[in-house]
Formats: sequence, structure tokens, C-alpha cells
Amino acid sequence: MTADLESNQHVEQFLTFELEGEAYGIEILKVQEIRGWEPIRKIPNTPDFVKGALNLRGSIVPIVDLRERFQMQKVEYTPVTVVIVMSVNTASGTSVMGIVADAVSDVLDIKLSDIKEAPNLGSKINTQYMRGMFVGKKNMVMLLDVDKLLNPEEFVGIAVLAAIAEGK
Amino acid sequence: MKLNHPVTDREVLMKPGTILVTRTNLKGIITYANDAFIEISGFSKDELVGANHNMVRHPDMPPAAFEDLWNCLKAGRPWTAPVKNRTKTGDYYWVEANVTPVFKNGKVQEYLSVRYAPSREQIQQAESLYEKLNANKATIRPTGINALIKKLLELGLWKKVGIIYLIFLLPTINSIYDHYIEQKYPEMFLFLGLAGFASILGYSVIRSVVKALENSIRISYRMADEQFRNTIDLDRGDEIGDFYRALYGMQVKLNSDLAYSKQVASEAMRIKQALDNVQSCVMVANNDLDIIYMNKTVADMFQNAEADIRKQLPDFNASKLMGANIDQFHKKPAHQRGLLANLSSTFSSALVIGGRHMNIVANPVKNDENERIGIVVEWLDRTHEVKIEQEIASIVEAVKVGELSSRIEMADKQGFFETLSEGINELTDVIENVFRDVGSTMQSMASGDLTNRITSDYQGVYLNCKNDINTTIDKLNEIFGQVSESAHFINNSSQEIASGNNNLSQRAEQQAANLQQTAASMEELTSTVKNNADNAQQANAVANNARELAEKGGNVVKAAVSAMQEINESSNKIADIISVIDEIAFQTNLLALNASVEAARAGEQGRGFSVVATEVRNLAQRSATAARESKELIQTSVQKVRAGTEFVNETGKALNEIVAGVQKVGDIVAQIADASIEQSAGIGQVNQAVAQMDEITQQNAALAEEASAASVSMSDLSTNMVEMLAFFKTEKKSGQQKVVHQADSASVVRAEANRMASSPAVRQPSSFKQTSQADDEWQDF
Repeated sequence: MTADLESNQHVEQFLTFELEGEAYGIEILKVQEIRGWEPIRKIPNTPDFVKGALNLRGSIVPIVDLRERFQMQKVEYTPVTVVIVMSVNTASGTSVMGIVADAVSDVLDIKLSDIKEAPNLGSKINTQYMRGMFVGKKNMVMLLDVDKLLNPEEFVGIAVLAAIAEGK
Repeated sequence: MKLNHPVTDREVLMKPGTILVTRTNLKGIITYANDAFIEISGFSKDELVGANHNMVRHPDMPPAAFEDLWNCLKAGRPWTAPVKNRTKTGDYYWVEANVTPVFKNGKVQEYLSVRYAPSREQIQQAESLYEKLNANKATIRPTGINALIKKLLELGLWKKVGIIYLIFLLPTINSIYDHYIEQKYPEMFLFLGLAGFASILGYSVIRSVVKALENSIRISYRMADEQFRNTIDLDRGDEIGDFYRALYGMQVKLNSDLAYSKQVASEAMRIKQALDNVQSCVMVANNDLDIIYMNKTVADMFQNAEADIRKQLPDFNASKLMGANIDQFHKKPAHQRGLLANLSSTFSSALVIGGRHMNIVANPVKNDENERIGIVVEWLDRTHEVKIEQEIASIVEAVKVGELSSRIEMADKQGFFETLSEGINELTDVIENVFRDVGSTMQSMASGDLTNRITSDYQGVYLNCKNDINTTIDKLNEIFGQVSESAHFINNSSQEIASGNNNLSQRAEQQAANLQQTAASMEELTSTVKNNADNAQQANAVANNARELAEKGGNVVKAAVSAMQEINESSNKIADIISVIDEIAFQTNLLALNASVEAARAGEQGRGFSVVATEVRNLAQRSATAARESKELIQTSVQKVRAGTEFVNETGKALNEIVAGVQKVGDIVAQIADASIEQSAGIGQVNQAVAQMDEITQQNAALAEEASAASVSMSDLSTNMVEMLAFFKTEKKSGQQKVVHQADSASVVRAEANRMASSPAVRQPSSFKQTSQADDEWQDF
């Protein structure tokens, strides 16, 4: 869907959220819903960053903790902690997933031209999920590609890669 | 005729039962005089023997008598007459003298004179005769007709018999003639025959009688000559035979008696000689206690003792003892007589005469019939012995009282006494030597020289003594050596102790001073403590006050806190509300975002909605902001309140702490007060203790003084001891070891005193420290 909206002059709306003080943005269209934090039902035998699942009006939504995903420091969930329910386009279709973010900020209208390319840090580091960077007024927003980010098949790979990126 | 003058008119009587015997040679020189003669004559034996017998002639004696005597003697005939003799002193004594020539081998050898005591009649007759003779009025021998008559009367036997025969013959012849005339021839022849037979018989009888007489005369002379082996016809029957037998019997008896007498005499003579020459003084007295025998020794003894005895018995005459009575020796003769009369066994006694000590041992002399015939008295002039006894006794006394320098004179000692004296002298010598050695050793020991030992050789007890003394000296040496060492050691130690005691005394004084200071300090401390107590009380009060205030403050704080709490609560509530608002804002935001999302999703149609959503988001953000701000404000105020609460809390805490602190302070102050009280009490006790300590310290000081004095005295004593011991020279080392210089120890003491004085005890700690320092030094010292 985003593909046909992409043009340099096209303004996309990104929902920015915070994660470890860093702003990240995701396409708003991907966002299905923003919810506040709710206790999550844990699911065993899942990677750690998969927190569990939420019951969202009858549908089971797996929740991913991006912090853990990005190997960031784990923090306690605050009331401000939001769960951003997104719909992820995967090979197998659209699946709804949620991510946990520290806070949700604005909806930014970003011109595609303003999206800077993500730096290439080598082949080892997978920055595929980064769509680019956006220099905002206050900070740099890393725009994430949700699809690549939340692809279940890539979970492991990303995790592994993330682990490799961490130098483990 | 020798006339011996002067004469006295004193008559000396012969002792009854005695005979005076003298022998003279043919010329009248006395060859022998028996004791009785010697005694009565008054001359000594030496004067008599060898002198002419006429020396005893009394001038009253008529010379005719002696003429007669000599005539008879020369004629070989014995002579007897009473004779008056003169004693040496001129006294006279009458004797019945019997002088006879002594034949030896038929020849006259000498004249023997035996004199008996005459009877009074004899003397009277003799006296009258001699007077007459002297007056030439009488003769000894009958002269003239008397002589003729005597001669006729003393015709020989033959002649007498002849005459008698003739006288008898005449009637016979007459009768024979008558018969012849009457021619009675048978009767005539008978008578003739008878006459002839009778003549022959008569002749033979007379001849045999005369022969017998002559034989007997011969035998008698022979017997007088001590020839007793004369053949005598013993078988003859008649009177002559009787006479012969009697003669024979006499011969035999005389022989045996003489032999016996000779034997007895020789025995007696032997014994007498023995007794004469025996050393003992033997005196024999008869039953009347006249001295009948004295041996030479007793005579000499009395002679020697005469002078001394005369002091007591002025009439004593040693030369006249023979025949004298024992009574003259005794003051109470009757006593002695009584004693001696009943003497049946040995009687010994001792008497002192004229300074002479005499022992007498009297024994009765009994004859064979056990009749007492006399007493034999042994005199023992023990004077010499007594003198020696006394000498020995004096020597022994001297030795007993330790006077060993005198010795018994050996010069006048013989025999047993010589040996004894020698022995005693030797003994005394030995004892003297022993004691000299012992004495010299002891003396040197007494003068401290222990190197002198007894070196002479001794035996027995003396050897033991010597060994013991030497061992003692060795031991003493050893002991003195050791004692000397010990004394020196003690001296040194005592000096050390003395100085130490001095030190101690000083320290004690110092301690006393310190204690006094302590006491003073304690006083101050007491006052300080009192002050403290007071201050503590005050502080207590103040603290109480403070506490109260603090409590009040605390209450206020509590109130404040509670107010703040309330504020807090309100703020919290507000915060909550604001949170709610915030949440709402958030949710609104989310909704707005969701809306935006939906709007975005909606695309073009949702643009207006997105604007609305944006606006709502703005509003939400505004409200969020406002809420945030309010929250911030609230948070700020809450913070502030919290801070304030905290401050108040802190204040409260502080106040609590203050209270607590004050409490503590109060407690502490109370404790302080208590402690002060205790301190006071303690100080009181300490004061007491200090006072006691002071007292004790003073006592200690006194004791230390005493100990110091004692140790000084001990030091003096030990110095004395050392000096005294120096008196002894032992063999090992000289006892004169140097006494540890008292100067040194004194200087040490002074140094100590200086040290003590230089840092005067000011405050206790310093002084204590110093004392402890000094203690260390003391220990080191």
C-alpha cells in the first residue's frame, strides 16, 4: 500500500514513538490502533522480545517488545507505555502485531524526500528494517519498516543478526 | 782396869725375858753383841763391836772380879757372876754374866758372854760382895782355908772314890782281917772275893762312871762345839746308860733342836735379814706392846723422821725405840692398847706424826698354838709417798684446772713413784702438747686465722680430736668461704636492697605526694563533677525543656506533616486526577492518533477527520500538556510538598531526632547525672581509696623507710659481717674482699633521687607514667 503512495513530495504520516529516548517512526497506515499498556498474556516458547499476546476485541495480537528486540535495556512498563498495534504485511498475509513503545509522540508528516537513507554499516548489520532517518526539529527519527521489522519469519534472523550486531 | 767415867746413880733394868749376849775374841774385843746388849748398853753396835769389852765396865766393879773372870777364861773354864755394867750415859745395870769359852775343834776360839737379868737378891749379894772386894775385904775366889776346903771338896772323882773306897775298904779289910783272924776263911775269901769283886766292880763302875763322865764331858764339850754326832752307847743299862740315853736324847734333841733352831734361826735369820733389808718398815711388838724387833728400814725411817716426830712427841728417840713401848706413839695409849689387844686380824690405820704420814698395818703374830705372842706392825712412812701423792694430786688438780705447766720433780723419786711421776709427767706433756696444739689452733682460729692446723702426730682420742679439729677447720674454711661469699653477696644485695629501698621510699613518698595531688585533683574533680552534675541537671532541665519544645515542635511537625500529608494526599488526588486527565489526554491522544490513523487510512475522506483528529490530538496534547504541566506543577508542588513534607518529615525527624536526641540527651544527661552521682560516689570512693592509698602509701613510705632503715642496717650488719668475716683468714681466698662501694650505691641512690626530683610530679598521668618509667628502670636496675 505504501508503495503506491510513495513519491518524493508525498507526505507520509509517521507515527513517532519513543524507545529508549530515541524516536522511531512507523507508517501510520500500518498502525491499526494505539492502545495503552495492558497486561499481556504470556506465550511460552517464544523469543524473549515476544512478550505475549493481547486480546484485542477478540483477536489475538502478539506483542513484541522492541526494546528487547533491539537489545535495549529492559524497562518497566509505565502507564505511558503504549502498545502500537500494527498490521504487518508478511508473505503469508497481513498479521496484526503489537509493539511496545515507551511513549507515542506525534504524528509526523514527513516528506519522503526528507527521509534520509539509513547508513550502511556493513553487510553484517541488518538495517533492513530501517527505512531511513528523518531529521526532525528536535531529534532524529529512525523510520522503521514495520514489515521487515515485524516479519515473523525474520524474527529469528533479526534476532540472530541483532545478536551478531551486538557482537555476541 | 779400865775405869769408865762419869757414872750416874741411875739403874737401868734389863728387859725381862731378854738376854744380853756378846762374843769377844780371845783378847776381849767384842765381836758380836746382840740387840738387847746394844740397847741396854747405850752404845751403838759400831761402838761395841771392835771395842774392848771393858768399855762397859762399871767402876764400881772390883777389878778382882774381872781378874777372876780372865783367870777362869784363860783356864778354859766358864765364869758366872753378877756384873754391874755401865751404860754409855753412865747409868748402870746389873746382869748375871755367864762367860764361857767357845771351843772349836778343841781349841778356844772365842768367849761367849750371856747375861741374864739377875734377881734382886743376887744383886744385893753381889753389891755387898763387890763392896767388900773393893774394900779388899773379900775375895772372889775363896782364899786360904776356904780355897783349901774347896779344893778338897772338889777333888777328882777317882780321888774321892779312892778315899771312899779306902774308907769302905778299911771296915771290909777289917772284917776280912777279922775273918782272917777268925779264920773264917770262906767268909774271908768271900769277903775278900766280894771285896775284890766289889773293888773290881767298884773300880769298873767308877771307871765306867768316870769314863762315862769323861765321855760325857767330851760329848758335852763336843755338843757345846755343836758336834752332835757323838757315838753314845745306848744299850747300856744302868744309870750311866740312862745318862747316856738321856745324853743321847739330849744330843739328838739338841741336835735336832739346834738344827731346828738353826734352821729356824737361819730361816728367821734369813727372814730377819730379809725383813731387815726389806723395804717395808716392820716392827714387831710383844703382847705388852714393847718393840722387840725393828728392821733396818723402820729404824732408818724413824731416824729420818726423828726430828719431825719430835715436834709432836718431844721425848721421841729413834735410837731408843728398840724395847720401847708403842704407847709412846699415841696420845691415848689406852685406845691403842684396847684396839691391839683384841687384834685378831689385820688392822690398818694411818697416822700423822710430826708432819709425817705413817700408815700402819698391824697383824697379830700367833704361835703354833694360835696364841697371840705379839704384833707385827708395818710402818709405812708415806710422807714421801704422801708428799708425792700431794705432788701428784697437785699436778692432777693443776691439770684439772688447766694448769699444765707444772711437772712432778723426778729427782727424789724412785721405783714406782719414779715411773708414776714420769708417766704423769709424760701424760701431762702429752695433754699439754695436745692442748697446746689445740689451744694454738683454737687461738689462731679465734684470731681469725683458719689456716692453722694441728700437725703433730697423735693417737687414739687425740688423733680423733686432731682430725675433728682439722676437719672442723676445713669445714670452717669451707663454711667461711661460702659464708664469706654469701656475706659479700648479701652485702651487695643488701646494699642494692638498701638503695632500692631508698628508692622505694622515695618513690613511696613521691607516690604519697602524687596521691596528695591526686587527692587535690580529686577534690577539684569532685567539684568539677559536682559542677557537671549541676550542669547536667541544668542540661537535663534544658533538655527537658527542649524535649518538650521539640515534642511540641514534633507535634507541630506531626500536624504539619499530617497537613502536608493531607496536602500530599490532595496533591496525590490532584495528581491522580491529573493522571486521569493525563490518561484521558493520552487516551484521547491515542484516540486522536487512532483517528489520524483511520483518517490516514481513510485517505482523502479522512482529511477533514484527520484535521479534526489532529485538532483533537492538539487538544489532547494541550490537555496533556496542561495535564502534564499541572502534573508537573502538581508534581512540583507534590515534590515541594513532598520536599516540604520531607523537610517537615525531616524536621519532624529532626525534631524526633531532636526529641530523641533530647531524650537521649536527657537520658544521657540523666546518665550523666547518674554518672555524676556515681562519679561523685566514685570520686568519693576514689577519694577514700586515694585517702587510703595515701595512708597506705604513707605507711608504705614509712615501711619503705623502715625497710630502708632495716636494709641499711642489714647492709651495715652485712658490712659488719663482711668485716668480721674479713677477720678470718681462710685458705681458699682472702676474706678481705672489697665491700661493694657504698659510695657507689649511695651515688646511685642519689641519682635516682635526682631523677625523681628533676621531674616533679605534677599531674597524675605524667607522674604515673614517670613512676612506671621508673618502675621499668627499677626493674632494669
